[in-house]
Amino acid sequence: MQVWRVNVRTKMLVRESVPAAWEHLGGRGLLARIMVDEVPGTCEPLGRFNKLIFAPGLLVGHMLSSCDRISVGGKSPLTRGIKEANAGGTTGLHLAYLGIKALIIEDQPEEKQLWLLHLSKDGIQFMPADDIAGLGVYEAAEKLRSRFGDKVAIALIGTAGEQRLAAAGIQNLDKDRVPSRIAARGGLGAVMGSKGLKAIILDTQGTDKPPIVDPAAFRLAQKAFTKSLMEHPQTKVYADYGTAAMTRMANGFGGLPTRNFSSGQFEEADRISGEFLRQVILERGGEGEPTHACMPGCTIRCSNNYADSKGTSLVSPLEYETIGLMGSNLGIGDLDTIARLNRQVNDQGLDSIEIGASLGVAVEAGLMKFGDGERAYDLLMEIRKDTPLGRIIGNGAVTTGKVFGVLRVPAVKGQAMSAYEPRAIKGTGVTYATSPQGADHTSGLTIRAKVNHLDPKGQADLSRGTQINMAGYDTLGACIFAGFGFAAAPETIRDLLNARYGWSVGADILQVLGKESLKLEREFNRLAGFTQADDRLPEYMNHEPLPPFGPVFDVSDEDLDGVFNW
Amino acid sequence: MKVSVHLHTTLQKVSPTGPVRELEVELAEGATLNDLIALLKLEINDEHTLCVVQGQIAERTQILSDKDIVHFIPAISGGGFPGNAGI
Repeated sequence: MQVWRVNVRTKMLVRESVPAAWEHLGGRGLLARIMVDEVPGTCEPLGRFNKLIFAPGLLVGHMLSSCDRISVGGKSPLTRGIKEANAGGTTGLHLAYLGIKALIIEDQPEEKQLWLLHLSKDGIQFMPADDIAGLGVYEAAEKLRSRFGDKVAIALIGTAGEQRLAAAGIQNLDKDRVPSRIAARGGLGAVMGSKGLKAIILDTQGTDKPPIVDPAAFRLAQKAFTKSLMEHPQTKVYADYGTAAMTRMANGFGGLPTRNFSSGQFEEADRISGEFLRQVILERGGEGEPTHACMPGCTIRCSNNYADSKGTSLVSPLEYETIGLMGSNLGIGDLDTIARLNRQVNDQGLDSIEIGASLGVAVEAGLMKFGDGERAYDLLMEIRKDTPLGRIIGNGAVTTGKVFGVLRVPAVKGQAMSAYEPRAIKGTGVTYATSPQGADHTSGLTIRAKVNHLDPKGQADLSRGTQINMAGYDTLGACIFAGFGFAAAPETIRDLLNARYGWSVGADILQVLGKESLKLEREFNRLAGFTQADDRLPEYMNHEPLPPFGPVFDVSDEDLDGVFNW
Repeated sequence: MKVSVHLHTTLQKVSPTGPVRELEVELAEGATLNDLIALLKLEINDEHTLCVVQGQIAERTQILSDKDIVHFIPAISGGGFPGNAGI
C-alpha cells in the first residue's frame, strides 16, 4: 500500500511508500499518528497547515461484515483538537482497492474555485466543480453519478462545507449510491471546503483486491467472526429495529436527552422509538425498508429507509442519534417531522447531532419553541441561506450558546453531546468529558453495561475500557456493531490481522491499538493547548438534578483525570 | 399492587391489533421481577437482557413496589463494550 499526498495548491500528487512507524496502523490510529507527525498542534483548522486525511481501517477491503469503514481526520474547527470521524458506505473499500493506506490532502488553493479530485490507479485529476458548487449533496451526488457512472465511490461536502461551518461533515455513498453515510462530527466538511474540494471521486477500474498474505487463514477467521456476529442476539435487534431501538432503552434509564438536556425522559418516546419506526415503515410500504445495509457485505443491516405516507423515501437512514437530538431534545415527538429535518440537514451536509444540540440551545435563547418542527425547519433554512443567524447555529451548540448568552450548553471541548444524558449514564459522561474527540457518540458508550449507571464509583474504569476498545475498532475500520461479534470471538481480530498482513500480533491487539491511538490523540491535543481543565462536563450538569430520577454528574475530578492511567 | 411494564423490541407481545409494548399488570404484594416474568411468560436471556426498575438495573429477585415502572430490554450496546468477553 501507499501514501498518496495531494497538494491542492500545486495540484500535484506524490505517491510514497508507507513509513515503518505507520505500517501497523490504519483508520483512527493512523490519523492520529499522521497528525502528531505532520500537523502543528497550534495550526488554524481552516488554514493551509492543517491536513485532511482519509484512512481506511486495517481490515478494510475484504467485505468482512461491517468492517469497511473510512476514517476521516484533521484538526477540528469545532473542537480545535484532533478529530476522527468515520463512516460506512463505499469510500473505504475503494481506497483499499486503490492501494491507498492514507490520502493526505495538504495546503490550500490560491484561487476561490471549487474542485473535484478524481483518483484512479493512474493518479489524480483536478476538475472544476462549477456545475455542482452550491448544490446540496443529494443533487450534487446525482450529477456526479451521471458523469462518472455508478461504479465510483464519492466523498463530498454539501453547502455547509462550502460555507466553512464548524458543524459540516463529509458524506459518502452507501451501497445503493445514496450520499447519506456521513463522517459527521467535528467540522471536517469545513476543512474539505477550505481545501477547495467539493468532492473526491474514487475510480477503482483496473484495480485488484488488496492482497492477503494467508488467504486460507483469513477465510477461516472470517467464517468464525461472521458466525459469532450472526449468532449474537443483538444482530437481530439491530436488523429489525436499527439504532432507534435505543430510544426506549435510554428513556427507561432516564437518559434520553429531552428539551435541551433538561429531562431524561420524553413523554412521547414511544412515538419516536425503533419499535414504532418499524411499524410505520412496514405499514406504509413503498420505498421504505426497516432493514438495510450501508456497506456491501454487512450482515447486521442496521440501517433503514424511512418513507412518507405515500411510500416515497423521506430519508435513509433515520438513526437514533438524530431521533434523540432532533426529536426528544427539541420536544418533537413525530417521526415524519424528524425525518424532514434530517433530510434537510443531510442535504446541507451538516452533523445532525451538532445541529440538534444547537437548536436545543436556540430554544433556550427564545428563537423557537420546543415541539415546533416548522420553526426548526425555518432555522435550518437560515443556515442554508447563510444568514448571520444561520451561521451562528451552523457553527454548533457552543457558538449558539455564547452568542445568545445561554449557559446550558450540552457540549465538551466544543462538541455537542450525543443522545445519552451523562447525568443518568455516568460512564458515558466520563467518556464525554475525557475523550480526545470531545463529547462523542462513538468514543465509548457504557449504557450496555450491567452496572448502576447512577453510582459515580467505577464509571472511570468502565469508560476507560470502552474508550480503549472503541479506539481499537476505529483503527480496524470495524463498525461499532461488529464489536459484539468480535467481543464474543476476540481471537478473530488477531487471526484476521495476522492472516491479512503476515504479522504475529497477540490476542490483546485490539487494546494495544486502542491505547496507542488514544495516546497519540492526547499528545496532539496537548500540543494544541488542551489541559485537564478541558476534560470536564459543563458546570450545570454537576449541580442541576436531572428529572425524573434526579441525578447530578458527580464522578470525581480525580477519577476523570485518571482515565488514561493504564 | 400495579406495575407498569415496558417490553422492548423482540419482547413485544403480538396481538390482533398490532404489537403491544406497554401494559399495566396487577401483582400480589411482595411479588418479584421473577414473578412478573413468569406471569407474562417472557423468555428472558439473563446474559443479553437488561431488567430495569425505576431507571436502574435490577436483579430478578428484586421485590417490586406499587407503581413501579419496569423495562425488559434485549440489550443493545449503542457502542460500548465494557469487556472483551461475552458482552
